[in-house]
Amino acid sequence: MTRVTNASRRDTDDLPAVIERVVTLTVNGRPHTLRLDTRVTLLDALRDRLGLTGTKKGCDQGACGACTVHLDGRRVLACLTLAAQAEGRDVTTIEGVSGTDGHPHPVQQAFMEHDGFQCGFCTPGQIMSAMALMAEGRTGSDEEIREFMSGNLCRCGAYPNIVAAIREAAARGGHDARL
Amino acid sequence: MSTVESRTRIGAGVNRVDGPRKVTGTAPYPMDFSVPGQAYGALVQSTVAAGRIVRMHTEAAEAAPGVITVLTHENAPKVGTGPTTVLGAAPPPPLRNDRILHHGQHIAFVVADTPEQATAAARLVRADYEATEPLLDLQDPRAEQLVDPWGMDTSRGDAAAALKSAEVTLQATYTTADNTNNPLGLFATLAAWEGDALTVHDTSQWPSMVRTTLAMVFGIPESSVRVLVPYVGGGFGAGLRVWPHVILTAMAARMIKRPVKLVLTRPQMFTSIGHRPSGVQWLGVGATRDGELVALDHRSLSSLSMEDNDYEPFTWASSFAYRCPDVITQDRQARLNIAVPTSMRAPAEAQGNFALESALDELAHQLRIDPVELRLRNHADVDPRNGLPWSGKALRECYEVGAQRFGWSDRNPEPRSMRDGNWLVGYGMASALFPYFAQPCAAQATVRRDGSALVRSAAADIGTGTYTVMAQLAAEELGLPLDQVRFDLGDSDMPHSMMAGGSGLTGALGNAVHDACRRLLRQFAELAHDDADSPLRGFPPDDMECTDGRIHPTGRPDLGEPYADILARHGLTELTANGNSTPPVPTELGMSLSGAYGAKFVEVRVDADLGLIRVARVVSAIDGGRILNEKTARSQIIGGTVGGIGMTLLEDTATDPRTGRIANGTFADYLVAVNSDIPDLDVVFVGEPDRGTATGTKGVGEVGLVGIAAAIANAVHHATGKRIRDLPITLDALL
Repeated sequence: MTRVTNASRRDTDDLPAVIERVVTLTVNGRPHTLRLDTRVTLLDALRDRLGLTGTKKGCDQGACGACTVHLDGRRVLACLTLAAQAEGRDVTTIEGVSGTDGHPHPVQQAFMEHDGFQCGFCTPGQIMSAMALMAEGRTGSDEEIREFMSGNLCRCGAYPNIVAAIREAAARGGHDARL
Repeated sequence: MSTVESRTRIGAGVNRVDGPRKVTGTAPYPMDFSVPGQAYGALVQSTVAAGRIVRMHTEAAEAAPGVITVLTHENAPKVGTGPTTVLGAAPPPPLRNDRILHHGQHIAFVVADTPEQATAAARLVRADYEATEPLLDLQDPRAEQLVDPWGMDTSRGDAAAALKSAEVTLQATYTTADNTNNPLGLFATLAAWEGDALTVHDTSQWPSMVRTTLAMVFGIPESSVRVLVPYVGGGFGAGLRVWPHVILTAMAARMIKRPVKLVLTRPQMFTSIGHRPSGVQWLGVGATRDGELVALDHRSLSSLSMEDNDYEPFTWASSFAYRCPDVITQDRQARLNIAVPTSMRAPAEAQGNFALESALDELAHQLRIDPVELRLRNHADVDPRNGLPWSGKALRECYEVGAQRFGWSDRNPEPRSMRDGNWLVGYGMASALFPYFAQPCAAQATVRRDGSALVRSAAADIGTGTYTVMAQLAAEELGLPLDQVRFDLGDSDMPHSMMAGGSGLTGALGNAVHDACRRLLRQFAELAHDDADSPLRGFPPDDMECTDGRIHPTGRPDLGEPYADILARHGLTELTANGNSTPPVPTELGMSLSGAYGAKFVEVRVDADLGLIRVARVVSAIDGGRILNEKTARSQIIGGTVGGIGMTLLEDTATDPRTGRIANGTFADYLVAVNSDIPDLDVVFVGEPDRGTATGTKGVGEVGLVGIAAAIANAVHHATGKRIRDLPITLDALL
């Protein structure tokens, strides 16, 4: 469904009308129906409309990885994905990765043990990428981990600890690991 | 004179207490806060670098969907200016007048119901300018130069005469680029007024200063301002000032009587919150043929914006880094039409050390003396400025342990002599220091009826581990297990804290926590002193300690009792004590405060055909005094090393020399180190608790970065025979 509001403007060339759309997003297994400005990104929908602020905005230009989420099990940048594009697909965010028993996911635990973060701002994106890395089979060596984690910037410089955390989590059984 | 009390030199590397919140995405950063009814701001920035605004065109934006107001210099209320701090005068408030001083200056602020509406409407704001030619070149003779802007120029002996008569001399010029702090967390401000009371969530490294500043700007009492910063998405210096966008957000919220939230865009992060200024440095070194320094002449010129201050005494540390009789150091700053520079991790030292430690490597090469040996021959055993002993300096041990771990003795001193296939291998090293820094700081400690403790201060934890190490320190002081102690911070209503900056917070806050805990202990002891039912009765309250949650006379744990018992007998729910710290004064101590030291050893590999430079390994031997938590301290050093690698090989904020526009203001264009740029990094802590303060820490936030640039440049010289004196070192310089 598409609705045009504020269609009558005195200067329609400069003032694009706001187009809204109703979108149903399935996030961490739960469906949410939202009426959204079509310009709203998946990132802003998660953060501003669903209150899932664990996914971070570090650049809004697809260059830092802080907004990494899983879409149908694959990692994507939520800032470069329009919310409408996620309709009918499974979105998983950092809020959806802990065990149902409330225990942290093995990758989360490994990040804590290895101090794989400092300010913590890039951490949700790093963890979403790290989990995907295991599913992608890209944890065979430190070099491979470094290469395939290079889309996630960490300005605090925790990289060696991030590699150590992923190395350990992977060694203990990949994405099914239980430390 | 303070004396060091018995304690562990290196504290347990326990996991961060805020780790569970950070790995689950539940730690709230400034951009994560929202309040009902909030409006959203979007900035409009100038597209010229100098001149004045002739006319603002805001009609289209005002008529755009959802727009509530558009602020410009024509309708913005006049506000006050914040205080001058150790970093200099406060940045001038926004939208004061029609003058344009740099490209990217805030010229309008659009407020709308949604962020999309605000962003779209901001694009509709137009300005007519009367543009003038901007001053953009650091060495433009028309640029006003500030001479000795910090009063920190030094001179001892006669450096000019000593240089002239020295057996060996070396003159060299070094340049360093503009770097941008670029914390991952976009800076955000959420301002909400209730009458004349203001609550602000803000990205800040200094909540207490945000409070003071906003009170002065809006002419309200400090008690009417509350600043909340429980988590900060990095700062690296960018959060040390109260920037114009913070004031704009609060100004708009007051005008429209609605909370307003602003999140900067990444390109705006390049122009709105400071950057490391570019600089040129001139080094003159005189020595004997045995490598003994006899003269040092170190001068700098760095870039500065038109109206602001920036603390960057590049050359100051050269006056005490080595024993040398005749030294002159001088700093100048040139005013240009650029966005305001500010402290960035290891301000001044990052640049000054690069020049000094590169020059010493050149001297060592010229004299055929091993670079480590050259530094040992010139080691400053006492402070060469005043002859005072250092409060703690294990630099010799840094050299020894670092060289041993690295395998420095395997180095063939001849450039281009080491090779692995097509890789030219180079070993380089440098010394590092970061001077001691502290400001007054306060903390409050409470023990409650259940025996647990709550300690508080209005500090910020920018990722350094303040939550964790202060809880550890308080647990130790109060004799409680760590899980019985909580440390709270990030709220300006808590006791005043210094900035999270300059490697100063851990020491200053640690000393305040120490003081608060000691006073609290004494309060318990005094209560028990006259208490017939207490095993502590009659024991002097000054001579108490705590073990396993029980307070007891020193050395007599058998006579102790739990805090909870004392509180219960006196019908108290809790006891609270306030503590303070002030920076120690060297003349009173009879010692010079030495700050942190380090020795950095780097192996680089340079592709013989392509000039590609890879850092293969780094060993950092660090004297950080007492280390409160080995795990978080190590993270500080590796983080600084990563920043140093970025500064040396990647980072360069490129300004268009005609327009003053930053040409690479995105993460796609401004390169920072990524995971695959960084090898395993070896860190070792040496030395003893510093003798200058009660807790014995030195601070390790900056020293990890210092020395990396010179060590890499020196390794590149060793690998290739090419001396690169300009940062960043990119492959084109090696072809």
